[in-house]
Amino acid sequence: MPYTELIKNFNRTREYMREFFVFGFRSREEVGKKSARSYDDERRRVESWLGEYMQFRRMPDGKSVFLSIDSRASRHNPLFKAWKAKSFTDGDITLHFILLDILSSPEIKLTLNEITERIDGYLSAFEEPRTFDASTVRKKLSEYADEGIIIAEKRGRSMTYRRAEDVGEIDPAALAFFSETAPCGVIGSYLIDRKDKDGSVFTFKHHCITFAMDTEIVCGLFLAMREKRFVTIEVSGKRGERFTERDVVPLKILRGVQTGRQYLMAYVSRIKKIIAFRTDGIVSVEPGEICESFDEHRAAFASMKRHLWGASTRSRSGDELDRVEFTVRYEAWEKHIHQRLEREKRCGTVERIDEHHSRFSADVYDASELVPWIRTFICRITELHISDKLLEARFLEDIKAMYRLYGLGGDKE
Amino acid sequence: MIFSELYSAYYKAVAELIKIALERPVTRDDIMNAAKERAFDESFLYIGSALSDERWQVITKDGRTPIKNAPSMPATELEKRWLKAVMLDPRMKLFGVEMPELDNVEPLFTKEDFEIFDSYGDGDPYDDPMYAARFTRILRAIREKRPLDIHIINRKGNTLRVVMMPDHLEYSEKDDKFRLFGKASKYGDTVNLARIVSCRYFDGEFRGREHKRDAGRTVTFELYDRRKALERVLLHFAHLEKETERVGEGVYRVTLRYDESDETEMLIRLLSFGPMIKVTEPDSFVELVKERLKKQMECIDG
Repeated sequence: MPYTELIKNFNRTREYMREFFVFGFRSREEVGKKSARSYDDERRRVESWLGEYMQFRRMPDGKSVFLSIDSRASRHNPLFKAWKAKSFTDGDITLHFILLDILSSPEIKLTLNEITERIDGYLSAFEEPRTFDASTVRKKLSEYADEGIIIAEKRGRSMTYRRAEDVGEIDPAALAFFSETAPCGVIGSYLIDRKDKDGSVFTFKHHCITFAMDTEIVCGLFLAMREKRFVTIEVSGKRGERFTERDVVPLKILRGVQTGRQYLMAYVSRIKKIIAFRTDGIVSVEPGEICESFDEHRAAFASMKRHLWGASTRSRSGDELDRVEFTVRYEAWEKHIHQRLEREKRCGTVERIDEHHSRFSADVYDASELVPWIRTFICRITELHISDKLLEARFLEDIKAMYRLYGLGGDKE
Repeated sequence: MIFSELYSAYYKAVAELIKIALERPVTRDDIMNAAKERAFDESFLYIGSALSDERWQVITKDGRTPIKNAPSMPATELEKRWLKAVMLDPRMKLFGVEMPELDNVEPLFTKEDFEIFDSYGDGDPYDDPMYAARFTRILRAIREKRPLDIHIINRKGNTLRVVMMPDHLEYSEKDDKFRLFGKASKYGDTVNLARIVSCRYFDGEFRGREHKRDAGRTVTFELYDRRKALERVLLHFAHLEKETERVGEGVYRVTLRYDESDETEMLIRLLSFGPMIKVTEPDSFVELVKERLKKQMECIDG
């Protein structure tokens, strides 16, 4: 197949985009191990879509390519461009514009034969007119009916087709805002593309644009959740191996805007447990049957949620819940530290012990998820107790390792 | 389908060209411009040849079209479902948008299906009608380029007056807060919306200084890939401009670019990775880390 800018399937591109954007240090030899040609094609495509963000570096083992994007400076997620590169046939694009021109308003109702005849009239303007038989036109109309842009209605024994009603005008600022902040925001970007003016008055800080790459997966999961369906998901494991998990009940998408990670929380029939799957590790989603016990699983998850810090539902210690407590000290002018604990806690409680000390405590499924947050209070942690004693010891050992890293006490690492 | 040619950049470019062809014959320059504006770097080559070969039979070789109306497409079912979902978001009230035509549309997702689990708990008060009214006024002032006379309550509880030519709003998903940026007379060029107590149009003569974002600071650190640190760190900082280099087996050098005003935030975010990260440059940043570690040594001898 000769190279084109457009792609049929998003999955391979998703892997390369992630490689260039999140990692970006691996050479062509390393990334393109399976197929150097695929690597070259994908790199060229990404460069064509996002050339202004693409950079190169020469290294001893080859050249590396990376995307360096300051998401705070862009009003629109640049990664959305890849979603607008779906391939199509010559017939697809020709029929698209002609059909929507024939059915230019919802008042026009025509049968398949009437539409097919009119198409021929349009094509007669060309030197070598294409021909579309009735079955091809019917297939396209039915495809568009599935997409909701054409309404197919029975009139007597034959079917008539008309254009669907559009939605009214939407505030471009609202579209610009939600296309960047709501799940599946690329859909908002599609709507923006239909407008002549860019109404964005927003920029975004701490903006995890990488979630855009999982849109197709998340959208498939939402569709299943709304219908309370089982799904079968294909998942890429930790070492790149793929496995299929059947009879999965999708319950909620949890997004971490600090970690840049997004999870599907789901009941897995095989193990009879609710667990988390990283959405960037899910390769495909197939909807299944309706799950009669969907509401029960969702209620079970809602009660688990009170003890979730992140998405992990499994304690490393083997206990049902881990207890975490730590105390921080602050000076009289640092009252905001207590507020920080209040503002940043996701579960548990914060108590002011005295003028200079506050304590956080919580019972959580996986105490290791709190460790990065506790470390943000380094310089003021006076006490720490974790019921998982191995984890507590590791936390304290890590602090010592940090001292050594910076030549503060003990030997340098 | 969310990945569909219906939303393709090429379709947008061709729609643009058909609009032109309804007025006059399309030229090579028109194709170049439409491809550049609506599609990608190399799109001109593909679109140009498909039209000149009459493979896409919507524009003839001589730049005319048999299409009679300016191309348009109604919202797809997926678009309607997404719109319905965002209409249910409490922040939509800020925009005063109502779409009764979506009453019978099933939302693509609801708050039962999706949640951000790590945003802070003191987000802006979207349900407060006064906050919403100020938001609406600010949006209008940005569009109309009208200066605003703003009163805010600062952290110490004092009321301050700022006259500002608003430029844009910044939203942080982590903080769940809006900030207004613009040219201001004094007290800096940013205002937290939740701190505003009054906001009127300013009718006097406005003089303010240009807002300049200082995104010029960099910090470099060594990253030791233990406990999946490589992926964790790079995903965590994916929203910043960055450069990563492998310098040894399991050791990487990462340089991040950040705004000067975010230095403390950067410091604690880097500390959150513990001994998996060692800040190496600049010296001033290394000192900030050391200072915190020294204080920690006084708290408990790890």
